[in-house]
Amino acid sequence: MKNNVPAFLLSRPSYEPRNFDKGRLKTSFIEKGIHHAAQIIQTGYVNWETASKDDFFQGIDARVKVIFLLFYIIIVSLKNDLISEVLIGVFVFILSIVASLNIFSFYKRVIFFSFIFGFLAAAPSALNIITKGHIILPLFHLSSAHHLWIYQIPQEIGLTKEGIYGVSMLTLRCMNSLSISLFVLNTTTFPDIIKALKAMLVTDAFLMVITLSYKYIFIFAKIVEDMHLAKKSRLVGQMSAVDGRRWAAGRIAFMFKKTTLRCEEIMKAMLSRGFSDNIKIYGARKLCLKDWTSGAILLLIGMIFLYI
Amino acid sequence: MHIPDGYLSPQTYVPLYLVSFVFWSTALKKMKKNLSIKHIPYLAMASAFSFLIMMFNIPIPGGTTGHAVGSGIIAILLGPWTAVIAVSVSLIIQAIVFGDGGITAIGANCFNMAVVMPFISYWVFNIVRGRSLDAKRLSISAFLSGYIGLTLAALITGVEFGIQPLIATGVDGRALYSPYPMSVALPAMVFEHMLFFGVIEGIVTFLLFKYFAKHEYDMIYALSKREANK
Repeated sequence: MKNNVPAFLLSRPSYEPRNFDKGRLKTSFIEKGIHHAAQIIQTGYVNWETASKDDFFQGIDARVKVIFLLFYIIIVSLKNDLISEVLIGVFVFILSIVASLNIFSFYKRVIFFSFIFGFLAAAPSALNIITKGHIILPLFHLSSAHHLWIYQIPQEIGLTKEGIYGVSMLTLRCMNSLSISLFVLNTTTFPDIIKALKAMLVTDAFLMVITLSYKYIFIFAKIVEDMHLAKKSRLVGQMSAVDGRRWAAGRIAFMFKKTTLRCEEIMKAMLSRGFSDNIKIYGARKLCLKDWTSGAILLLIGMIFLYI
Repeated sequence: MHIPDGYLSPQTYVPLYLVSFVFWSTALKKMKKNLSIKHIPYLAMASAFSFLIMMFNIPIPGGTTGHAVGSGIIAILLGPWTAVIAVSVSLIIQAIVFGDGGITAIGANCFNMAVVMPFISYWVFNIVRGRSLDAKRLSISAFLSGYIGLTLAALITGVEFGIQPLIATGVDGRALYSPYPMSVALPAMVFEHMLFFGVIEGIVTFLLFKYFAKHEYDMIYALSKREANK
């Protein structure tokens, strides 16, 4: 997939290791701040770029995709067997190929989050201390079983078949939910998602808050990145942890002041453009045959997943 | 603290969506009454600010760095009801756009971090502070508001995880969602937040409060509101 995102947005800043030498620290927290801000801006650009392409899924009405998202995420949360979860995963993989997404970067993100939130968080439950069952991989053998208050530690500690099944289920569920939501996000622009939510009777006031907030997160993320870069460029060597804390607190307070000032400017701009208490977000276009057909197919496949 | 998809059963996430919805509606009504049409950009800016707080990594004693959730300081600066909307919008954007927190878990995450945490933090700040304007007492109040707010939010999250093996099991008794029983989920969530994340939250809340108290005193809702009520 051709990428039009400028290279400077995709390159990661250099990462400096921390040094705890005598209460002084290197500036890794500044690097982390730059990285965090850059990542948010990059995510926004990449999503916008893939969602704006002229491909099959990008052309489907956002309402169909938002209903698809909610329906399939509920299916994923209701299914309790590995085969169904694997089949849903394969289906989303096929959809992402059809949608011409960059499979490598798409699944890199999905697998990274699923590994942390799905696998790592659930992994200890595979042990027979948490999930009782048939041990298929013994890890430790204690001299005797122990009883500590309400906790029981068996003589043999190992991974159980039931535990591994549970961890696999959670990891797959997490992976499927993430891939479905990222798939919709990569094929639908944010304003279209908002219009689709309006069609689902979410109040205009709430949608307007979300829309404005979303836009200003990117603007302020750039300001945060610039502040960190400015600090980094003025630093030679190390700074004390106390100075680091003061600097970060001062910058957050500065951001607060800036957001409140911007709020007044926006209010004036909105009033000058005729904004009144009656908030109106214009609805989406009429659904065409392509939308109805793809919606019906996705619904049918979803029903099959639900009943297998 | 962000609960991903797959850990909570529908028996948990559906009621939590409803509870959060009640708080969102009440908060929007209260905002509208107090702030008229100005509330839209104001809430949007507050949400953006809530999001931005998490982008600042702050050096904490011991040599490491961490970032805060920020619900406590937002409740002190803007009031608890504004914090409900601001942090909720920030969490919704995080879940939909950045994949941080599950979509089915939006209600639960909003309840924990945008309802429980701001209100607890705000109450703790006011209770510990009393009527005092002493800088030391205000600083302690700010630290405790962040610390206790996050720890209690973690406790609620622990309960949500811990009830899963009790309310959602298969025919063979196997847990279908979060596999950790209450005896594991609750201590794990509470202790890690009491010993580490809560301290970070407390320090960030204290640092920001100290800065605002020194430079932008009038912007602190928790102080100006109490002064106005005197």
